[in-house]
Amino acid sequence: MPDDSESHKILWKRHENRPDNYVSPSFLKSLRTNDNFRPYTYWPLVLLACALTQHLATIFIFVSVFVRLKENYLNPRILVWTSVGCFLTGYLFWELLDRTGLSHEHRRANRVKALKSSILIFLALMSLSPVLRTLTAATSSDSIWALSATLFALNALLADYSSLSPFNAVNRLTSVLSMNAAISASVVLASRLANDVAVFALILFSVQAFALFPRLRHRLGVSSCPPVFQVAFTLILSCLSIIVTMPLSRTVTWIYSAVQFGVTFLAPAVLVWAQKFKNEIRGPWDVAIPKVN
Amino acid sequence: MQPISIAMVTDFFHPAVGGVENHVYMLSAYLIRRGHKVIVITHSHSPDRVGVRWLAPSLKVYYIPFVPIASSATLPDFFTFLPYLRTILIREHIHLIHAHASLSALGHEAILHSHLLGVRTVFTDHSLFGFDDAASILTNKLLAATLKNIDAVICVSHTGRENTVLRGELFENYDGETTLRKSVYVIPNTLVPERFEPDPPKPSDTITIVVLSRLAYRKGIDLLVATAPRICAKFPNVRLVIGGDGPKLIDLLQMRENHLLQDRIELLGPIRQNDVRSVLTKGSIYLNTSLTESFGIAILEAACAGLYVVSTRVGGVPEILPEDMISFANPNADDVFRAVEEAVQIVSEGRHDPFRAHERVKAFYDWDQVAERTENVYDDVIKSPQMELWERIQRTMQLGRFAGPIYTIMLIVDCLFFLFLEWLMPREDMDFVRANWDRDTFQELARKTGKTD
Repeated sequence: MPDDSESHKILWKRHENRPDNYVSPSFLKSLRTNDNFRPYTYWPLVLLACALTQHLATIFIFVSVFVRLKENYLNPRILVWTSVGCFLTGYLFWELLDRTGLSHEHRRANRVKALKSSILIFLALMSLSPVLRTLTAATSSDSIWALSATLFALNALLADYSSLSPFNAVNRLTSVLSMNAAISASVVLASRLANDVAVFALILFSVQAFALFPRLRHRLGVSSCPPVFQVAFTLILSCLSIIVTMPLSRTVTWIYSAVQFGVTFLAPAVLVWAQKFKNEIRGPWDVAIPKVN
Repeated sequence: MQPISIAMVTDFFHPAVGGVENHVYMLSAYLIRRGHKVIVITHSHSPDRVGVRWLAPSLKVYYIPFVPIASSATLPDFFTFLPYLRTILIREHIHLIHAHASLSALGHEAILHSHLLGVRTVFTDHSLFGFDDAASILTNKLLAATLKNIDAVICVSHTGRENTVLRGELFENYDGETTLRKSVYVIPNTLVPERFEPDPPKPSDTITIVVLSRLAYRKGIDLLVATAPRICAKFPNVRLVIGGDGPKLIDLLQMRENHLLQDRIELLGPIRQNDVRSVLTKGSIYLNTSLTESFGIAILEAACAGLYVVSTRVGGVPEILPEDMISFANPNADDVFRAVEEAVQIVSEGRHDPFRAHERVKAFYDWDQVAERTENVYDDVIKSPQMELWERIQRTMQLGRFAGPIYTIMLIVDCLFFLFLEWLMPREDMDFVRANWDRDTFQELARKTGKTD
């Protein structure tokens, strides 16, 4: 026998003296608001925002490296060696993270694959750099700056900052688009450089910064390494980006530092504040989530 | 109640098929039977459903030349419908419009315009919506704006009413106390029981489970895919007959292939409305795995055809049948399997009598009663005082800091557009509809033509 509150909610039997607009006392009793709502707290959000800060720092480091190459302040050979050094350090980190998860054979196969593809990319970039240098050489510099700025903005917007899915083997479409935008930006920028070695160095660096580094960052974010690493890493990167931008333009540095600060500290604060407007409504009308084992 | 002229306005009508389409047609037919004049206004279905058509019991249908954008709904643009609607409402001497379905742009627009002609408004909501995705947020705001100045709202189930009330913000402030508006009614959907007579049971050990549904995610086909092999493995005498079409068909085909169940699971493909009964009577258990359902007319049809029903406990489904005619399951594969087990037991022990079930459904639901209850709503609306423009503007402004001014501007522009139309197409020049079909003329003519044949 259904209890009284349920008996109001039947359609097959009609109460004779009850109009159709009768509102039973059980009306909206099954409504639940903010049911499984877990409020964010400030510091974990700051930690999550580190991924964004790191990405912005990478873009600024890349741009200042480009300016130095263009103005001949930086020897492209040094950049090539730095890239190789970065790659080896990054790969070491990757290996350390891999040690916990995968079997020995699997890791070995991965290593061979990584070696093969890195040699391939190295050679391909080397042979393509004369082509890349002249690819957009006929386009005026103004267009190149505008285009690369747009592409970098696109890259920052679409990048994958999440640290949720631990074994996300397949890249999401947006993160692939983001990587492509950044590589295209560096290709168009490369046409402003004077010689082939510089082009090669720049593109190699962009592959490091925009294709490999985000994967490592994602990996660091989802792995259970202590947050100290994350914080230290972010701090190093953003300081480095500010230091390398400072000699080029003071105004840009100030604006950039303000953005960094805003993204890392203010934006999480705004999100925490905005949570008081949260009003999640749940009830029997929601689409059920099927549990299939 | 005095006979009145009613215009049903919706994007979803014959020749499209579906729950809303059928409901509008049946309601119109039964209102005509009660002496009212009913017309339907919907969008055209090119190439051949255009202009004005008559459907069987003297129901006039206006097909407005609008192009549907997605799943048979037109683009909401708020103004372009007014010239058509004004002409039709004036020509047909309409007293009241009844809009159906919350995703029908024509319905929303008609509610916005009709006060210009002093026509009263009723709206029926047929479906449930969530609150947390972008599409729902937008359409809910649209609904709230439309329902701000409506005279009455009808929902098809109690759960549906709770949902509509929250989505459409149908609360009033009386002396600082927020209460539900008086004009929100619950009138269930219904069916014609005579069309779903059960077949006499066939003497056979096989128990057939029937599934009739659009094969889409919202209908819970994933649950079906997960449980069907288990059911077949547990009961060697059970067969499944699945009717319907949709994106999840491929999953079902794969499941059948993987478990080598080609001789146990029959996939019928799309089923026409006229063949529903013949499919239903093939079986003795009806399985519904929907994840959301505002009323669940398909369940009722199955129960009426004498099938024992197994359904997920979602939306308005628990309201429509007494507990002893239906087994409920939570939306997970294990529980659906448990409920099917229970149902197979009940049916194989002969504890479910199809004819008794049919008689019971017949006693619960019938169209005459629904038409009468709807008529009572119309009566309440006609007797209630109509809102003035100033009150409308004030109520529209309550919609919110951004939405309020936007909709108020639309309301005022709509009035100006109406004045322009009054000047451009004066009422005096209009052709009014004077002749109309009624039941007696229709029958007499039918008799006459029968004689000449």
